[in-house]
Amino acid sequence: MRLRGDVNVLAPIAILLPLVAGALLFVLPDDPRLGKIYGTLVAFATLVVVLLARHADWSVRWLARPFTAAFHVGPTPIGWWLALLLGLCTLCAVAATNLPRQRSFVAQLLLLEGTMIGLFFARDLLLFAFFWDAMLIPVFFVLLGWGSHPATAWRYFIYNFAGGLLLLFATAAFGVIYGSTDVIGQSGAPLIGAWAPWIFAGFALAFLVKTPVWPLHTWMPATYADAPSPLVAVVSAVQSKAGLYGFLVIGLAYLPTYVARFAPELVVLGAISLLYGATVALVQPDTKRVVAYSSLSHLGLIAIAIATRNPLALQGALVYIVAHGLFSTALFLILGYVEEREGTRSLIRLGGLGHANPRLTGAFTIAALAALGLPGLAGFVGEIVILSGVYQAGWTWAVIVALIAIVLASAYMLRLLQDAMNGPVVDDLPVRRDLTWIEGLAVAPLLIALLAIGIQPHAIMAAIAGAVR
Amino acid sequence: MIHHVMGNDGTYPLLIALWLLPLLGAILCWGFGPWLKARAGWLASALVGASFVLAVLSWGAGTQSVGGTLGAHQSLLSWIPGFDFGLLLDPLALLWVFVITGVGALIHLYSIGYMDGDAAFARFFAYMNFFVFAMLTLVLSDNFVGLLIGWGLVGLASYFLIGFWFFKPSAVAAARKAFVLNVVGDVGIMFAIFLIVANVHSIGFGDAFAAAGSYATPTLFLICLGLFVGAAAKSAQVPLHTWLPDAMEGPTPVSALIHAATMVTAGVYLIARCAPLWSVNADAQMLVGTIGGLTALLGAILGCAQWDIKRILAYSTMSQIGYMIMGVGVGAYEGGVAHFFTHAFFKAQLFLGSGLIIHALANEQDIRRMGGLAKKLPYAFVVMLVGVLAICGTPGFSAFFSKDMIIYGTLQHGHPWLYAVGILTAGLTAYYMLRLLFVTFLGSYRGAVDPSDLGIRHPELAGLPSDGDPAPQDATAHHHAPAWIMNLPVGILIVPSIFAGWLMFGGANSPWAHFFAGQFPVPNVVVPPISEGATSAIVFACVLVGAAVAAARYASKGALADAVARLRSESVRMPALLSNRFYFDAAIDALCVRSAQLAGTFFGRVADPHVIDGTVREAAISARWMGTLMRSLQTGLLRAYALILVFGAACFIVYYALAGGR
Repeated sequence: MRLRGDVNVLAPIAILLPLVAGALLFVLPDDPRLGKIYGTLVAFATLVVVLLARHADWSVRWLARPFTAAFHVGPTPIGWWLALLLGLCTLCAVAATNLPRQRSFVAQLLLLEGTMIGLFFARDLLLFAFFWDAMLIPVFFVLLGWGSHPATAWRYFIYNFAGGLLLLFATAAFGVIYGSTDVIGQSGAPLIGAWAPWIFAGFALAFLVKTPVWPLHTWMPATYADAPSPLVAVVSAVQSKAGLYGFLVIGLAYLPTYVARFAPELVVLGAISLLYGATVALVQPDTKRVVAYSSLSHLGLIAIAIATRNPLALQGALVYIVAHGLFSTALFLILGYVEEREGTRSLIRLGGLGHANPRLTGAFTIAALAALGLPGLAGFVGEIVILSGVYQAGWTWAVIVALIAIVLASAYMLRLLQDAMNGPVVDDLPVRRDLTWIEGLAVAPLLIALLAIGIQPHAIMAAIAGAVR
Repeated sequence: MIHHVMGNDGTYPLLIALWLLPLLGAILCWGFGPWLKARAGWLASALVGASFVLAVLSWGAGTQSVGGTLGAHQSLLSWIPGFDFGLLLDPLALLWVFVITGVGALIHLYSIGYMDGDAAFARFFAYMNFFVFAMLTLVLSDNFVGLLIGWGLVGLASYFLIGFWFFKPSAVAAARKAFVLNVVGDVGIMFAIFLIVANVHSIGFGDAFAAAGSYATPTLFLICLGLFVGAAAKSAQVPLHTWLPDAMEGPTPVSALIHAATMVTAGVYLIARCAPLWSVNADAQMLVGTIGGLTALLGAILGCAQWDIKRILAYSTMSQIGYMIMGVGVGAYEGGVAHFFTHAFFKAQLFLGSGLIIHALANEQDIRRMGGLAKKLPYAFVVMLVGVLAICGTPGFSAFFSKDMIIYGTLQHGHPWLYAVGILTAGLTAYYMLRLLFVTFLGSYRGAVDPSDLGIRHPELAGLPSDGDPAPQDATAHHHAPAWIMNLPVGILIVPSIFAGWLMFGGANSPWAHFFAGQFPVPNVVVPPISEGATSAIVFACVLVGAAVAAARYASKGALADAVARLRSESVRMPALLSNRFYFDAAIDALCVRSAQLAGTFFGRVADPHVIDGTVREAAISARWMGTLMRSLQTGLLRAYALILVFGAACFIVYYALAGGR
C-alpha cells in the first residue's frame, strides 16, 4: 500500500467513514434518538472530510490482467461538487428523519452515502461500476422494509441492475480494449475501434436508466412515491445525477465522437422527457409523484445540455445539477413533513395548511419557487446558462421546448404549493404544530444555498468553469 | 469581451441605498412582524419615502450628460464570469423611480388605514416593500438579466399580494393565473437574451444597443418579439391580458400600486428602454403599435360592460396601457412615457378613491348596488370626479396632454389607422368612466334593493360582501385608524392628476422634452395633414360625444328615476360576447390549459403504466396466456430474473478478481 501524503488518505476515509459507521449502527442499541444524533454527527463528519478531500488522490493496485485496474479514489473536480452536494443532502435528510425503526433507516442512509461517495470519488472505471451496483442495495432494502409495495423495490432493482450489468459489460470491454480502467478524470486519448459504438451504447443505456430519461423512467415515480422522503431526497438529488456524471467523465472524455453522433437522439429524448414529465406533473394528484415527474422534466434539460457539448451549456448543467439537488431535497423533505402531519399525499385531500403552518409554508414556497426557476434563485441560473449554451450550439427548437416546459413548471409547482397550503382550512385534516426547530434546521441550509447561488452565482460558476475544461 | 456602459462610467453609491432600502423594510417587516405590529406600516412607508428622497437628490446625477452619455452608473458585482451587474440611473429610469417610490410611499401610507386590523398586517407591508425593491431592480438594472430578475420578482410580489387572502379560493386561483401568464412573458425575455448573448456576447444594455445596426433584420425582429412577449404579459396586452381583471382579488392598495401605477407599465419601460432596437425595425414597430392599439380598444369596450368597480378600472388600466404601448411601439417614446407618468397619478387616485367607497360600504364592489353616494361620500366623489375628468382627457387635466401626444404621434410616425383607434378609444373612455361615475354617485342608494331586481344573477360572482376585501370587517372589531391617513394620500394625488400634464405643454420646448433630451433615438417624422391643435379638437369632440351618451343613459332625469329597471335590463341583455370577455379566457383555457392537462392525463394514466411499463411486463402477461408451462415461471419471474442478474454479476466480478490476482 503506498500513500501519497497525508491529505490523500482522506479520499478512502470519506468513503469508509459512512460505510463503517453505518454498519456499526446496526449493532448499537435500537433507540430512535441515538440513531438520529449518531447519524447526524457521522453525516456532518463525512461532509467535513469530503470538503477537505478536494485534492486527495489515493491509489492501490488491483488488477494487472486482462487489463490494469486500481483501487484509485480521489474526487474529480465535478465529482467533488457532487460529493459535497451528497454530503449536504444526506446531512439534511438524516436530520429530517422521523420514521419507525429509525436506527436501521439511518444506517441505510449512511451506507447509501458511503457507496455514492465511492462512486463520485472513483478514478477507476471498474471501481465506478462496483459502486454503481453497490449503491442500489441500501435503496432496495429501504424500499422493501419501509415501502408499501415490495413490487416497487423489485422494479427499482431490476431496472437499475440491468443498467448496472450493461455498465459492467461495457467497462470490461473498455478495459480489454483500452488496456486500463484507471482512466476517470485523466486526460487519456479517446477510445476508438469497432467495439467503441457498442461500448458507448452500454454506458449510455446504463446512464439513461439511472437518470432516468424517457422512456426508461417508469421505475422512478413509483420508487419516489413509495420510499420514505429522506431517502427519496438523496436518491432524487444525487443518485439520479450518477448517470449524468457518467456522461460527463466517461462519455464526453473517452467517447466524444459517439456523444456527438448520437446528440440528435439524446436531445430528442431529453426534450420528450422535459415535456412529458412537465405535463404529467400538471395533473398528478400525489404530491411526491408531482416532484418525481418534475425531476424527469428537469433532468431532461441537463441531458440536452450534455448532448450539445457546448461549454456554456455544460457549465450551466453543473450549476443546475447542484440547484436541482438542493431544491429536490428540500421539496421531498418538506413533502415528507406534510405527509407525517396529515397522513396523506393526495392534493385532492390536502389544503389550507398555511393557516396553522406559516413556517412550513415559507420553506415550501422558497423550494417550489427555486424549482420553477424564479429569477434570483439557483434554478434560474442553471436554466438560463444551459439554454443560452444550447441556443449557441444551434438547437433552437430544443430551447423553445425547454421554455414551454418552464411555463408548465410554474403551473405545476404552484399547483403543488397552493393546493396543499392555500385555500380554506380542510376540516377533516388533523391540525398539527408548525415546523419544529430541528425540522426547520434540516431544510434551512438547502434554502440558504439556493438563495446564495441565485444571488451570487459567480463563485460556483468560476469553480465549475475549471471543472468543465 | 465588450465593456460598454450606459450611464457615465464612475460610481454613484447613493443608488445602492436607494435600491436596497425597501428590501431592508421587507426583511424587517417579515422577520419582526409580530413585534412591530402596527408600526410595520409606518416603517415600510418611511423606507419607501426615504428612497423617494434619495431619488430627488439623484436628479442631477440622473440627468447629467457627459460626453454624450446620460445619467449615472454604479457597478455591483460580476454575476457569472464575463457578465457583470450594475445600476443605471438615466432620465428614463429616474422617471420610473420617482413614480415607484413617490406614488408607492403614498399608497403605503394609505394602506396603513386600509389594512388596519388585518391579521397579517406586517406581512402585507413586507410584500409591498418587497415589491418596491423588485420594481427598482427592474428599472435600475443596466443589463437584461438584472432586468429579468426584477421582472420575475415583481411577478412574485404580485403573486403574493393578489393571493394575500390565501384562504379565498378565488384569490388563490387569480394569483396562480397571474403568475403563470407572467412566466410566459419571462421566457419571452429569456429567448431574447439568448439571441442577444449569441450575437454580442454580453448582457449589458450598452453593448446590445451599440450593436443595434449590426443584427440581421430577422434576428432583430425575433429579439424584439421575445422582448415584446415579456412586455405584453406584464402589461396585460392582448391576448395575454386575462390575468389583470382577475388580479383585482388583491387588496385595493395593491391594485393601485402594482396593477395600475407601476408593475403593469413595466412593458412600456422595456420598450422605451430598448428604443434603439425598435427604432431600426419597422416590423417590430408595426407589431407593437398594432397590439397596443387593439388592446386600447378592446379594454375600453370591455370596460363598458363591467359592473364591478375595480374591474372597470382594471379594464381601463389595460386600455390606457394599450395607449402607452401604442405610443412607444410606433416611436412616439416621449408620448408613451408621458402617459405612463400622468396615468400613474390619476389611476392610483381612482383606485384609492374606489377603495374609500369599498371601505365605507363594507366591501361592496358592484356599482349596481351603489348609487347616490355623492351625498354620503362627498370626499370620495370629488376624488373620483377629478380622476374621471383626468382620464377622459378634459382640457387642462393631465391626460389631455399625454394622450394627445400619443394620438398625434401615431399620425406623425405614419400610422393613420392607429390614429383613428386612438380617437375612438378616447370617446369610449369618456363613456365608460362617466358611466362608472354616474351609476355610483348619482340617483338614490340601491344597497337595500334585492340583487335579483338589479339583474345580479350570481351574487357570488358579482363582488358581493362575501367576496370582497375581508380586512375592514376585522377592523370594526378593533380600533379604526384615523380617516386622514387614507384621505391625505388621495388628496395629494389630486394635484399631479390635474397638473402633471402641463409639464408636457410647449412641444419641443416643454420641460418634458428637455428632461428627455438625448434619451431616445430621434425618429424621422412626417408632417401630417392634420395639425396637433386640430387633433386635440377632434379628440375632445369625440370625448364629448362619449360623455353625452353616458349622461343620456345614466344621468338624465328619466334614467335616474328608473335606475333599477334600467340597470336590470342592461345586465340581462348584455351580449354574450361582452359578458364572456370576447372568449379570451375560454380560448386560452381550451387551447393551452385543457390540452396540457389532457396530455398529462393521457401520459400519466395510459402511456406510462400501460404502454411503456406494459412493454416491460409483456413477458409476464404473455406467459399468463401461454398456459401452465409458463405459469410456474411467471410466479417467480421477478425474483428469478433478479437472482440471475446478481449471480451473473457475481461470477463476473469473481472471475476478473481471480484473473487479476494471477
